[in-house]
Amino acid sequence: MPEITNGIRRLRFDHDEMTQEELALRVACTRQTIIALEAGKYTPSLALAFRIARAFNKRVEDVFQYEVPIKE
Amino acid sequence: MNAEQKRAWLGVVTMSACVVGYFVLLPLFGPIVATAAFAFYGINGFAGLIGRKEKPDERDKNIARRATLAGAMASYLAFIIGCMGTWFVVFAFKREEQVWVHVLGTITMLGAIVFFFTRSVAILVLYGRHVEADNA
Repeated sequence: MPEITNGIRRLRFDHDEMTQEELALRVACTRQTIIALEAGKYTPSLALAFRIARAFNKRVEDVFQYEVPIKE
Repeated sequence: MNAEQKRAWLGVVTMSACVVGYFVLLPLFGPIVATAAFAFYGINGFAGLIGRKEKPDERDKNIARRATLAGAMASYLAFIIGCMGTWFVVFAFKREEQVWVHVLGTITMLGAIVFFFTRSVAILVLYGRHVEADNA
């Protein structure tokens, strides 16, 4: 399971139902990467994380959350 | 499916064609003529025409870099095993001290095929898996 989760999907809908394509254009990445981010299949670089946060006028920690893995 | 995945599929198909073609021709025409099957390798050159306008982003570059590394490792391993395996078979079993000259070309092509095949498969696998950016 990824340690870093995000609320990109929710934030997109909160921002006039922004499409994945629109967000991808704003943050200079591909739509496929946005899909992978929303599905938790990609942990972005710091630069991309900042670009995404700024696209929503949020702080990075408002978009991305770090979950401490539970040790068994 | 993006351009990198399309190129990867082309790689899988052409490299598989090389191997299948070689083993089809081998019993029919012998090891020298069978190397003609490696001509399929050239088709992979058309991969450069796929998605020329598509600009890769950080995830694409990350996946391509990891897949290239996996391909290089597998290729190196295949080449070493091919060289040492040939020497072992020829010397240990046939008690000969000379290796047939055509073997080197075949082993070199084996290394190249293993590189592109592994790289292509790794790309297809990594696009379906969780990947972390280098500085994530």
